[in-house]
Amino acid sequence: MNERESLFRRLSTACAGRGASAGEPPTVATPIATEGDPVAQFAQTFAAAGGFLLRGPVEAALSDLGEMLRAEGVTALFFPEDDAAAREVAEALVPFGPFILTTGAEVRGGSAAVTAGFRTAEAAIAETGSIVETSACGNTLLPGLIADVHVSIVRTAVVVARMEEALAAFTADPPRNISFLSGPSKTGDIEQTLTVGAHGPKKAIALLLPPKRAEQE
Amino acid sequence: MKVDANAFGRNARKALLDKTLQEALGRTTGRFQANRDVAAAAFPDFEATRERASRIKLDVLDHLETYLPRFIEEAEKRGAIVHVARDAAQAREIAARIARDEGVTLAVKSKSMAAEEVSFNEAMQGAGVTVVESDLGEFIIQLAGEAPSHIIAPAVHKTREQISILFERHLKEPRTDSIPELVGMARKHLRAKFLSAGMGVSGGNFLVADTGSVVLVTNEGNGRMGTVLPRVHLAVVGIEKVIPRMADLPTFLRLLPRSASGQTISSYVSIVTGTRRAGDPEGPERMHILLLDCGRSAILEGKYREILKCVRCAACLNACPVYQSVGGHAYGWVYSGPIGAVLTPLMVGLPEAAALPDASTLCGACANVCPVKIPLPDFLLELRSDAREQGLKTPGEIAAMKGYAGVMSKAGLLEAIERIGGVLGQFFTKGKGISGLPYPFSGWTERRDFPAPAAQPFRKRWKIRRGVTR
Repeated sequence: MNERESLFRRLSTACAGRGASAGEPPTVATPIATEGDPVAQFAQTFAAAGGFLLRGPVEAALSDLGEMLRAEGVTALFFPEDDAAAREVAEALVPFGPFILTTGAEVRGGSAAVTAGFRTAEAAIAETGSIVETSACGNTLLPGLIADVHVSIVRTAVVVARMEEALAAFTADPPRNISFLSGPSKTGDIEQTLTVGAHGPKKAIALLLPPKRAEQE
Repeated sequence: MKVDANAFGRNARKALLDKTLQEALGRTTGRFQANRDVAAAAFPDFEATRERASRIKLDVLDHLETYLPRFIEEAEKRGAIVHVARDAAQAREIAARIARDEGVTLAVKSKSMAAEEVSFNEAMQGAGVTVVESDLGEFIIQLAGEAPSHIIAPAVHKTREQISILFERHLKEPRTDSIPELVGMARKHLRAKFLSAGMGVSGGNFLVADTGSVVLVTNEGNGRMGTVLPRVHLAVVGIEKVIPRMADLPTFLRLLPRSASGQTISSYVSIVTGTRRAGDPEGPERMHILLLDCGRSAILEGKYREILKCVRCAACLNACPVYQSVGGHAYGWVYSGPIGAVLTPLMVGLPEAAALPDASTLCGACANVCPVKIPLPDFLLELRSDAREQGLKTPGEIAAMKGYAGVMSKAGLLEAIERIGGVLGQFFTKGKGISGLPYPFSGWTERRDFPAPAAQPFRKRWKIRRGVTR
């Protein structure tokens, strides 16, 4: 008998007589209050998690965004090859720099530049102020992972009220990675003093954009 | 990890005299506790969510024989390789084999109590693998060559000055008293490790049975980095961490960060499932999940099974007046505070840790804050009685308790003793308090004066106070 079967046997003994079948979801309701407009709530919870929210349209936000990146010492910008919205924002930002465009591969290779990673969020959660990024469809995770500043492009249409709605798409066959990113990377491990930028981005920025024109019609 | 739980008394005394530790504990536990209380109060559905989480966990314990095989099946369907270890020695053996087979020489590890339980790092050393702890607190503790003292804040007992000295010695960084600079030094050093390590080692906060997913909750982002960048991912997780459905995850994500640190959500929640898919630009080519029994199936069979509901939030530590005073090291093993005082005896054997259930005032603060409603004080009391049954109490202790019970159950006798005690006490102390009692009572007067016995029995004073005169 291998170790796995032996464990299953021990569990069968331990669970014997505990009711016939594994349970249905408990009946205790958790009516997590959805406070009105999810987009407005997201704006508030994202800020509470330590993120900075800018509102579109893109042209209006560029100057503020450029200033925030310069303040963090950012010199290089990168975005996923196939992410048109992220590319548009990053390229439009170059004149607000001095910023150069680089690639995720280069940053991963150990580039010494201070970087900002741009990426379109798959969803955003109003309840927690989280950006949802996944590896579904071969999407890269590097902009929200190894950049010093993370800029999420959030279409208002992808903002959901609760975590359940964000996960609903993945209950059958989840991709390798689903991440909820809520504000910057934080640590309180030295003298319990909250400090940003432990491993992930030191600053999390969300650029909230209205639906694309095609979607509005 | 070596078990030193029965030395609780000696270790606690040492902790009480450690000035740095006392300052750190005062700073941290109070803040964690206050933040937790604020977060719980600000979330109107907190109580309903606790109840729901507790019921989900009970269902899991009742049917772990169904949920665990389901988890394994789903995880393997998506490319993970699942291993099962009966005990710590077997876990080390399996972990070492995985590292050797995968040709790993450097591993980055995010925080895992389960890995700590089986002395994971020793196994890696044996296999010629360098393990770098990537959680900042754990990293500091690793440099210092110590064991963590708090589940979620392992380095609470280190000051920034001590940390800067460690970084100067081990990382060749200049001395600084700026915390952001210290964090930046660790970031730079650990980033290089993440980019070059062959294996990322993680724990797992939850295992989702219906998808085979491992869920990691961190604030620093090290868990996410270690499960995206290295070629191999190894998750070391206890078998009780299973939850039935992905749809159950939000319930637990609403409780864990609020209970641990008072956050609505941690900075990073990573749900990882299997290996990287065809066309994925990142993610591990190989994923191993090492499931630990290490006494859990035996606990599941007995009267303490509900202890397996624990989600390791550490709220009970922060709420505990004993933990607040002595910190984590005094408990002598991986788990500390009320959860440790119950879990350690159950996992390492009561004779090895019979001192721990006594390390509690039974005040009930732990049960009040537990997000999955574990009856910790009941278990502590029950373990004390088990210790007595197993002959782990001294005859003196048993006699004293018998005598105490005899007096406390007879009101007249108690009152008579109080009268005599009152007269003698007032005579000898002049009402000032007792500064030194002889052994075996000397512990009560070692650090403070014991109040003099009241001149009149309690019941009499109570009646007078309520306006009833005899």
